[in-house]
Amino acid sequence: MEVQDLVLEEEEEEEEDSDKEDQDLDKMFGAWLGELDKLTQSLDDGRPEQPPQQKAPLRQETNMANFSYRFSIYNINEALNQGENVDLDALMADLCSIEQELSTINTKPNSSGSMARLGLTDTKVQTCTCLCSMYMDEAARQTSSHSLSSHRRTGSVGTVSEHEVKLLSILRMTECYCFGLLCTISVAIPVYVQEEQAAKLKAENIRVALEKIKEAQVKKLVIRVHLSDESSKTMMVDERQTVRQVLDSLLEKSHCGYSPDWSLVETINELQMERIFEDHENLVENLLNWTRDSQNRLMFTERIEKYALFKNPQNYLLGRKETCEMAERNKEALLEECFGGSSVSVPEMEGVLWLKEDGKKSWKKRYFLLRASGIYYVPKGKAKASRDLVCFLQLDHVNVYHGQDYKSKYKAPTDYCMVLKHPQIQKKSQYIKYLCCDDVRTLQQWINSIRIAKYGKQLYINFQEAMRRTEAAYDWSSLSSSSIKSGSSSSSLPESQSNHSSQSDSGVSEMTSSGHTRSQSVVSSIFSDAWRRGTQGEV
Amino acid sequence: MSSLSCSMAAWDLSVTVVDLGPDAPPVTLSVTSDLHVGGVILKLVEKTQIKRDWSDHALWWEQKQKWLLRTAWTLEKYEIHADARLLFIPQHKPLRLGLPNGITLRLLASFSSPVFQTVMGICRMLNIRHPEELSLLRPVEEKKKKKDKDSAEEIYDLTEVPLSSASRPCLYNGMPAHFADSPQMEAIYKMLSITQPPPAPEVIAKQYRPASVVDKAHINGRWLDSSRCLMQQGIQENDRVWLRFKYFAFYDIEPKYDVVRLAQLYEQARWAILLEDIDCTEEEMMLFGALQYHISKVSQSEPQLMSTSAAMDDLDSALQSLEVKLEGESSSASEMLENMTAPELNDYLKIFRPKRLTLKGYKQYWFKFQDTSISYFKSKEESIGEPIQQINLKGCEVAPDVNVTASKFLIRLLIPAPEGMNEVYLRCENEQQYAQWMAGCRLASKGKSLADNSFQSEIQSIRSFLAMQKTNAGSHGNAHAADESINTHSLVSPRYHKKYKAKQLTPRILDAYQNVAQLSLTDAVMRFLQIWQALPDFGLSYVVVRFKGSRKDEVLGIAPNRLIRIDLGVGDVVKTWRYNNMKQWNVNWDIRQVAIEFEGNINIAFSCVTADCKIVHEFIGGYIFMSTRSREKSDTLNEELFHKLTGGHEAL
Repeated sequence: MEVQDLVLEEEEEEEEDSDKEDQDLDKMFGAWLGELDKLTQSLDDGRPEQPPQQKAPLRQETNMANFSYRFSIYNINEALNQGENVDLDALMADLCSIEQELSTINTKPNSSGSMARLGLTDTKVQTCTCLCSMYMDEAARQTSSHSLSSHRRTGSVGTVSEHEVKLLSILRMTECYCFGLLCTISVAIPVYVQEEQAAKLKAENIRVALEKIKEAQVKKLVIRVHLSDESSKTMMVDERQTVRQVLDSLLEKSHCGYSPDWSLVETINELQMERIFEDHENLVENLLNWTRDSQNRLMFTERIEKYALFKNPQNYLLGRKETCEMAERNKEALLEECFGGSSVSVPEMEGVLWLKEDGKKSWKKRYFLLRASGIYYVPKGKAKASRDLVCFLQLDHVNVYHGQDYKSKYKAPTDYCMVLKHPQIQKKSQYIKYLCCDDVRTLQQWINSIRIAKYGKQLYINFQEAMRRTEAAYDWSSLSSSSIKSGSSSSSLPESQSNHSSQSDSGVSEMTSSGHTRSQSVVSSIFSDAWRRGTQGEV
Repeated sequence: MSSLSCSMAAWDLSVTVVDLGPDAPPVTLSVTSDLHVGGVILKLVEKTQIKRDWSDHALWWEQKQKWLLRTAWTLEKYEIHADARLLFIPQHKPLRLGLPNGITLRLLASFSSPVFQTVMGICRMLNIRHPEELSLLRPVEEKKKKKDKDSAEEIYDLTEVPLSSASRPCLYNGMPAHFADSPQMEAIYKMLSITQPPPAPEVIAKQYRPASVVDKAHINGRWLDSSRCLMQQGIQENDRVWLRFKYFAFYDIEPKYDVVRLAQLYEQARWAILLEDIDCTEEEMMLFGALQYHISKVSQSEPQLMSTSAAMDDLDSALQSLEVKLEGESSSASEMLENMTAPELNDYLKIFRPKRLTLKGYKQYWFKFQDTSISYFKSKEESIGEPIQQINLKGCEVAPDVNVTASKFLIRLLIPAPEGMNEVYLRCENEQQYAQWMAGCRLASKGKSLADNSFQSEIQSIRSFLAMQKTNAGSHGNAHAADESINTHSLVSPRYHKKYKAKQLTPRILDAYQNVAQLSLTDAVMRFLQIWQALPDFGLSYVVVRFKGSRKDEVLGIAPNRLIRIDLGVGDVVKTWRYNNMKQWNVNWDIRQVAIEFEGNINIAFSCVTADCKIVHEFIGGYIFMSTRSREKSDTLNEELFHKLTGGHEAL
């Protein structure tokens, strides 16, 4: 802890030197990492009959706690390096809610002595361990970010130290609590079990249980979301949150007007591809596929192609070559027909596409067909009878991405490329398949048809849900158009998903004082203006 | 008044009463033209002097092929004169009914009501909901090579079942009351509701297979007319007809109530695939094969799935929700305890990484399974230290590479990593070891640990599949000793009998089987139907037609939502018209031509070559009718609407 204070002081002296600042931050993180290691170690020491093989293996592929830890650090680190604003207040609010949780747990009486209550005890250990590790994460992050803000936000030194104190005390508290519990358990066993052998067995069982607990813990990630105006936003996501929930809380915070088109887009810079996350997907699960040194970005932006399929289904579901208009009621009937039944039929997509050959720069033409069971192609010299088709790939394990600027990167015939790959693959690999279409329309039809084949009815449910949100927001905003302070009114939103979002809202609401206008572009420009103003005001 | 009665001179009407015996002369009645049909029947019954229940009997006018069912109508109104040959016969007669599962029933069906109603009655008896989706088909004539085999065919008799008019049969023990009467009847119901074991490959090969779209089109010429009765369509007592799903729009499938419906639907789908009535790719065929294998295996082991009673259902659902709860709440005490006794898996295995550019072969290490990862160590003694490597299997692809006779037990893992996919082969020594590690790998790939309660069943299913390979390889096809063994040729169409040997087929089906092995019977059947419904050609009924102005035959495909025009020369879909855009359709019964008008002034007209235009008319109207069902959520069938849409001028 002393290290931290030291760093803080140093920073306050050297406000101008940003390079130096980064180094300091690095140092600070290093220190915190050390601190954490120490803590873990001491935790380990506290365990009874710790078997020696419990040391982490060389490749810690399973150690989720570590994973989320380094992940969070990475994000913040990046934010700091780029010298942009971090939504500290939002984070702080998140933290406060955790603190509350923690205190309620602390007030619960300890159960001990009886193995019959072991289940109960374990539950608590779980929460505790979880909170503990999370807390150390949080604390590390918080302290570091605050030390940053201390010299950015003028005159807030007092607050910072206050936070510091609070954080540290919480950290210590957690630590103690964990030790306490572990002790309880170690005491409990001898009381209950007579034979030494059995005791050992139980201890081993408890160890297994503890490991399970460690895995079962709820991860929280601090993520950085980039906006279309080059600014970015930092927020905390729960591993259980779906993309829809994250979008909702982002929309709530940014007041950019509800529209079903708002999307979270994953861009993989190294491979020059991107994908719009589907609303039902789990965000954290997807982000955990990124590597440590990843240049990937998460964009929060409006994309009309996300639900274009449902807005003009006639252009996607009928296998037509040309775009056309359709009466609204016919669209509805068409969607109902395609998605309303017990099984979803995949649109009949087939045609000549360019396929990039493995490891080569050349692209070859092939006749591809989409079926519910995967993508097929017609082998040379054969007719397109089903039984002769060759399976190109099945869709269970791959996602479809939009390749960008492949004409220059891979010498593709056109820039309308799609990529199929396992979400975990992040670098060039022979397992990535590149397909190129002749025009943008064909590309969109293929991508959307693959989405239908992959997700089926879920896509339509997502769309309907997004539309419901939009309508709800529309009603709400027309009612409260006079209200200027959005921070207070946002809590009255009926479908506020995350319990901490309304609190963390305050950071932004000060800046966005212009209320909501329904027109999207106006709102988003106001929003970005506000963002800029806010950032400028601080530097 | 007197003048009227004078004009109504009495004349002789002769009626053949079939029940008097084949040689008995017709009964002659003295009637006047103002006598109503009911009066004729009364006189007739009095004259025969037989005391019995005549209520099902009615008069059939042979020359006009017409029932005289309106008892209040006079002979004059029916235009019956002395030369009319009338038969007094029962309206319900026995019919041999071929079901989709290949079983033949003998049951009483109405020969006097429109076929639509006859099917309703049959479905009511068999407990099949939504009878509007089914109809009767004249069977394909079997080649008369084996007469003895035909006569030996077993027929299950249901003619004793009393006729009822209740729209819903009352259920007893989950089956209609008439099936609960005797053990024999119960056995028949079981036959209806349980899927049949896979047919022998020879049986599949012997069946008629349509070779082309035109062949398929010919089958659709065999549908009986829904608006006319069986008698009018030349169906005789004890004739054979097939009961089949005709409209491929299956509404509101509810496994709990649709036991027979689902079983028969599955059988029809299975045969459509085995006989290549519908085309699919090789991958899809293997998946269908795997599902068939799984379904037959599970239905042998849990035949009680046919929902028995409400109490059992409740218990089932309670148990299920309990299971979900246990799975859902990871913090629950019982699971904690379960986790503490998680099975362990460590052993010496051999590992090989094919992608690395080394000449090294398999190397032996001490392997240990932990949660969803495997770690390996130099030896058992060193397993306390740090592993050489730990591989997390979550999200990886697991493929078997097994040859029992060559004792090759390989697990091929494809593990995703940022750099691409890593290939790792694990070699096991024996079946036992393989089954355990394979099961572990498969659970881990789904993110489940060995503690998951499906671990043991997973091991079992892998073993039984290995056993299958053993019998296939051991004796050449005629091993039916173990009930577990199924010839994999029974699971695929004859095309693949030629392409692959049974033992080549086994690993391919095994591959697909992995993804379905954990499904329950109902889920597996539903999955089978889903994949069938997702095939591009699903639901298409073909008819050869001649479009107006065209000089060649073309094929019209009728689907639940659209019509397609297929060029016979190329085999390609030339044009698609959707019912949603259809404004009206007409049939010119004089020149037997169907004319359809679509939005945007699109008019098409065609005459039908391989089927009567009534059949095409009925298909289109039928699908329109099927699409109206979702809107009105009532249980009663709107028969009137169906006839309005499908009947044509004859219905009026």
